[in-house]
Amino acid sequence: MLHKIVQKLDQHAHFESVDAHCDIPCGIYDPHHALIGALTVIRMVDLINALVKEHGQGSTAEFINGMARYIAVKEEHAELTKHEIRIIWGDFIKAQHVETYPQLNGLVHKIMQLGSKARQTVDRETALALLEAVNEFAEIFWQIKGIETKRVPAPFPVSEEMVLPVL
Amino acid sequence: MLRLLKVRGASLWPDYREGDYVLAAGMPFPARKIRAGDVIVFRQPGYGTLIKRVRRVLANGQAYDVRGTQIASSDSRNFGPVAQDQVTGKVIASIRAKQTSQNSQGH
Repeated sequence: MLHKIVQKLDQHAHFESVDAHCDIPCGIYDPHHALIGALTVIRMVDLINALVKEHGQGSTAEFINGMARYIAVKEEHAELTKHEIRIIWGDFIKAQHVETYPQLNGLVHKIMQLGSKARQTVDRETALALLEAVNEFAEIFWQIKGIETKRVPAPFPVSEEMVLPVL
Repeated sequence: MLRLLKVRGASLWPDYREGDYVLAAGMPFPARKIRAGDVIVFRQPGYGTLIKRVRRVLANGQAYDVRGTQIASSDSRNFGPVAQDQVTGKVIASIRAKQTSQNSQGH
C-alpha cells in the first residue's frame, strides 16, 4: 500500500535511483541456439536411422562417411545445447528466479543429463525429451523477462514444436 | 536531510529488491555513525550513485569496505574502499515492492 503511494509520487517527483549493480550491464541471452541444437539432434537421429535402413549394415565408404558426419553433428549439437543452457543458467538466472521457479535447477540438470544421453544413444525419444526440456526452459526464460511465448511447429525437416518469444 | 531513493538492480537481493524505495539520511551523522552492517548510499566514479552494505569500517571511519549480496555484485572487490566523502547517505528505512518484479537481469 505504502509502496503504491510512493510509486505514484515517484511518477511525478522522479526520485533519484540508486544502483545495486552487478558486474556487467544487461547481457544478451536467448535460448534459441539451445533449441536449434536440440532440433538438430533429432534430425541427426532420423538421418542415422534412414542411412542404416538404406544401406543395411553395409560398410561401404559412402555409408561410413555419411554415418561419421551425422554422428559428429549430433555430438556437436547436443553439446551446443548443454553449453547454451549452462551460460543462461550461470550468467542470467539469479537466486530470485530460482525462488520463483523452484523447478529451474532440476530442469537444467535434466537438460545436462538428456544432452549426454543424446550423445551416447541414437534414441529418438531421448532427443524429443531433450527438446521438450529445452522448450520448458525457454518458456521460463521468457517469462522471467516478462515476454510472452508461443509454441510453433519448427519450420525445418524436423517439425516438432519449439518455443518462440512473441516480440 | 532525508531523501527518498529508488533501488535499481539486484546486487542487494533479497534485502533490497529492484523497485524498492529507501529513505536515506544525509551526511553528516553526528549522532549516527556508520557501522558494519549499515546500508549506505555513495557516489562511485564510473558507477554513479550506488547502494551497498558496509562490511567493515576502515581507517577509523574514514573509509568503508562495501559489499553486495551477489557473487557478481560490483562493490569494494571491484573498486576498493569507499571514502567517507563519497558517502551521501545512510539507509534508515525501506518501502518494499511487491515481489512480482522478476524481470531484472544481469545489471
